[in-house]
Amino acid sequence: MADERVPALEVRGINKYYGGVHALSDVSFRAYAGEIVGLVGDNGAGKSTLIKVISGAHAPDAGEIYVDGVRHHWRSPQDAIEAGIETLYQDSGLAPDLTIGSNVFLGREKMRRGLLGRLGFVDQRAMEREALEDLKKVGISVPLSRRTVAELSGGQRQAVAIGRAISWARKVILLDEPTNNIGARQAIEVLDVMRSARDQGLAVIFISHTLPHVLEVTDRIVVMRLGRVVRDAPTSGFTAENLLATITGLDELRPPTSSPA
Amino acid sequence: MSTVNSAPERQGERRAARGRGRLLAILANQQMVLVVVLIVLVAFFWSRNHLFISSSEIGNLLTDFSGLALLSVGEMYVIVSGGIDLSVGSTVAVSGILGAFVMQDMLNAHDPQVLVLLVGTAICALVGATVGAINALMITKAHLAPFVATLVMLSAGAGLALVFTGGAPVGLDSTAIIFSASGVGPFSYPAIIIIVLVTILGLYLHASRYGRYTFAIGSNSFAARAAGINVQRHVASIYVLSGALAGLTGMFFYLRLGSGAPTSGQDAELTAIAAVVIGGSSLFGGSGRMSGTVLGAFVLTVVTDGLIFINIQPTWNQVVVGAFIFFAAALQALRLSSGSLARLLRPTSHAEEATDGR
Repeated sequence: MADERVPALEVRGINKYYGGVHALSDVSFRAYAGEIVGLVGDNGAGKSTLIKVISGAHAPDAGEIYVDGVRHHWRSPQDAIEAGIETLYQDSGLAPDLTIGSNVFLGREKMRRGLLGRLGFVDQRAMEREALEDLKKVGISVPLSRRTVAELSGGQRQAVAIGRAISWARKVILLDEPTNNIGARQAIEVLDVMRSARDQGLAVIFISHTLPHVLEVTDRIVVMRLGRVVRDAPTSGFTAENLLATITGLDELRPPTSSPA
Repeated sequence: MSTVNSAPERQGERRAARGRGRLLAILANQQMVLVVVLIVLVAFFWSRNHLFISSSEIGNLLTDFSGLALLSVGEMYVIVSGGIDLSVGSTVAVSGILGAFVMQDMLNAHDPQVLVLLVGTAICALVGATVGAINALMITKAHLAPFVATLVMLSAGAGLALVFTGGAPVGLDSTAIIFSASGVGPFSYPAIIIIVLVTILGLYLHASRYGRYTFAIGSNSFAARAAGINVQRHVASIYVLSGALAGLTGMFFYLRLGSGAPTSGQDAELTAIAAVVIGGSSLFGGSGRMSGTVLGAFVLTVVTDGLIFINIQPTWNQVVVGAFIFFAAALQALRLSSGSLARLLRPTSHAEEATDGR
């Protein structure tokens, strides 16, 4: 693939060990602005570990991370956020006891004007209002932002988490299983939200076990198996059958019926 | 997502209304319950002895309350962040004693009274903050559980208080007692200062970024970290704050007794935790209202003072406090099972599909 553009995100030779387990070995891939990259693999393939490395939650033991061609070293998630990378973690990205508005603005609170702001007081009303606007902008509408996240349904919670990530992301957005635990209809809407994020020029990285969703929405698919990238190809080259075969490793026993482009 | 509507909620509410409904709605508001309990308590003590509602007793009550409130506020910050601070009682004793040593020297040197009190206050706060910093180091650097780390300081502090004093109170400062007994109307000067401080700390918990982070960490520390919050540093600062407030409470006890006593603040950590829990905060962190904690502290003060006032053995006090904690916890469990927990565990996707299909 002779792509002359600078990738929004590039990882090179990432290695990560947990005790004696080689969780990631020499993982490299690129994601360009304006594309959705599917990251798939069986349980234990290393997808979630890779996400944690890219988002700064875990430090890699070796390897390099580039954002817009610039090399970065994360010391904390804050560093990744400042570089323009937003992450939606599987099931655990929100503080359930806080309101929708507080969650959307968590870590980036709007302060009051003047002395109170300088003393550390937040402008709660503005945050609640703007949270709703921000969510609406990315195609999500939720009732009453003053509600705590614990009071929302699973689908609504996921919507808030995605909306939060997309409305803050400047370059890259990592979505770990965003369609899990929600209804089929909400899942389709999540896919739409992802498309609109791509159209806004973000690099979207979509981790999922739901292969039909991956085949439907992604431009390219990176397949991981046992901590390695085993295939990285345009989505048009995959069928449900050979994608599954690549994930499980059956393709190495028996060549796929239609070879990837 | 346009279809996230309120239909499932309405369904849930209907279901709740059909069931234990209205009574639960009232019980669910813990502060409302506390106000009722408070009225009942005051009426009971008054019926046994009409002097319970007299200006002198109200003044006593307010002063006693302010000491507990200050301690409980610090404890609440810790509990909201998902931790616990068992060391505050010992910190009260240690800081009061060390403060008393310094103030005694200054009094002997005939330093002006105001200066003595100011320096004493600063020393007490500093000693408390130091104890808090040791807690913070144990928790964030040595990764001890807050329960264990602060248990270490509870024990070490109580021991040190005896070592420093040989068991006897330090100093006798009659002007301190006079200062703590005088004031405006029923409000003693220490009570006024503390009430202002508690109000500021309450506003700060609920309306500042610092408070917001405290709730976020207690609610989901992973999410807080992922949002870019420096969780370790924030948690450390909370234990320092709790320690400093315990130190100031040490100064408060010095003012009341006119001396630094090794028994000051004994078991106070349990009363402070009780005030926070009775006030409706979750011991798991992430939720609570400062007004509830303040009310909790007030109810506990009324119980303690009232039992003494009607000449019931003060030993019964702890039994009554235990009963209060039980009822507060039971209320919380009831609220969880009827409200948010039920909604949390409901298989939402199915419910949504069903209602979306209409």
